[in-house]
Amino acid sequence: MAAGCANYPADPEDSLETARGSQLQVGVTENPPWVEIDDDDKPFGLEAELIIDYAERLDAEVAWTVGSESELIGLLDSHQLDVVIGGFDENTPWQSEAATTRPYGTASDGTGRVLLVEMGENALLSDMERYLIDTEDERAGEMP
Amino acid sequence: MNAFGHAELPAEQKDALAKARKIQWIWLGVLVLTVAAMATVMGNSQAMQTALVEDGLSFLPPLAFLIGARVARMAPSRRFPFGFHRAVGVGHLVSGVALAGIGLLLIFEGASTLLEQKHPPIGVVNFLGTPIWMGWLMMSVALASCITPVILGRIKRRLAEQLHDKVLRADADMNRADWMTGLATAAGVAGIGMGWWWADAAAALLISISITKDGWENTRDAIRDLVDMRATTFDNSQPHWLIGQINAEVLDDPLVHSVQARARDQGHVLHVELFVQLRQPGVEVSWVEQLRERCRNLDWRLEDVVITLTSQPFQEGESSLDHDQGEGMGPRAD
Repeated sequence: MAAGCANYPADPEDSLETARGSQLQVGVTENPPWVEIDDDDKPFGLEAELIIDYAERLDAEVAWTVGSESELIGLLDSHQLDVVIGGFDENTPWQSEAATTRPYGTASDGTGRVLLVEMGENALLSDMERYLIDTEDERAGEMP
Repeated sequence: MNAFGHAELPAEQKDALAKARKIQWIWLGVLVLTVAAMATVMGNSQAMQTALVEDGLSFLPPLAFLIGARVARMAPSRRFPFGFHRAVGVGHLVSGVALAGIGLLLIFEGASTLLEQKHPPIGVVNFLGTPIWMGWLMMSVALASCITPVILGRIKRRLAEQLHDKVLRADADMNRADWMTGLATAAGVAGIGMGWWWADAAAALLISISITKDGWENTRDAIRDLVDMRATTFDNSQPHWLIGQINAEVLDDPLVHSVQARARDQGHVLHVELFVQLRQPGVEVSWVEQLRERCRNLDWRLEDVVITLTSQPFQEGESSLDHDQGEGMGPRAD
């Protein structure tokens, strides 16, 4: 991972530093084949694995919140969630409410798939995007 | 190009005009490149769309100058007996409104970002395999975009004075707005990196006030010239010095008792109406023609001079020049 400017860019709400070594607050809405939810409210699928893998890099556990898109965006906006996943494509209408990451992969229909991060939390957004760039090749084969 | 309508340009102005036209073509090229670079860095975001509107507006003054300077050179015709000098005034108005538009747009944008507490997201790009925070690229592009307007703006301001071209003056103000915006963007993005989400909006708001003021002043001055306010210097800061000169020249003639010049700014040139009160009941036509030639020879801007002879003293407030203001010449002291 690229070192250097340790705390630049910084988060206005300190999301990245709060999550590191602790908990990453993630909202999830079911949207197969990107992410599904089993009978115990446990998410699984490509995006769920991606988040768990990323959280490991932060030494953090994932605290899941299951809900509808608009509920989760509201929680993201009020800083109760750090990230929201649910098979969003890069032209998602939530762009004015949430920051979209760079596409973590391209679906077979040609759309780039993104995750949503709390608006303006640029340390978290940048750190996730660095992770997405690092792991881009690993996912290339598994995109539905 | 050697003339504006029938007004022959002296060598200095000819050079200035050629240089100004060259600079405006270069500037248009730089603008196109800047827009392309910004589109690459910022992508298809909301911020990019606003930036595109601003850039679209900054195309207007250089275009207004190039078109205005071309139209103004056309000779007067039967349908357009005064020629086309006013093309400059129209261009000045367009440029002033464009500048004010940018200022108001920046105010609106900055204020709404602060009021709605929008936190701008800036992520990472994959630059040749290395992830780079996009803020660094944005700061580089913003700072690089300052260089040309700083240099060209200074040159344009000088040429504006030489050519008596107010479109060029408005464009110099636009260039000032351009480099101030670049500087503010760089500072704002640097602030966002520090975690100050409000930094960019606050910086934009700060400079927008001065840009709006420039835009308002150019718009106001253009309208004043178009409604034939007394001719002024290129920056509308004071009455044009030629008004005093032409009054003095006429008053120098022994047959003249007093004179009032009414000068309007046609664009590059002035249109002057002279009201001359004589000391005697009549003069030869050739005397009038010689007087007109003497006035026209004072400066290249005085191509169109109309002389009215009168035996009556002038009424107060009849023209834009009165004795109290010191530019009109009172009765000749013998």
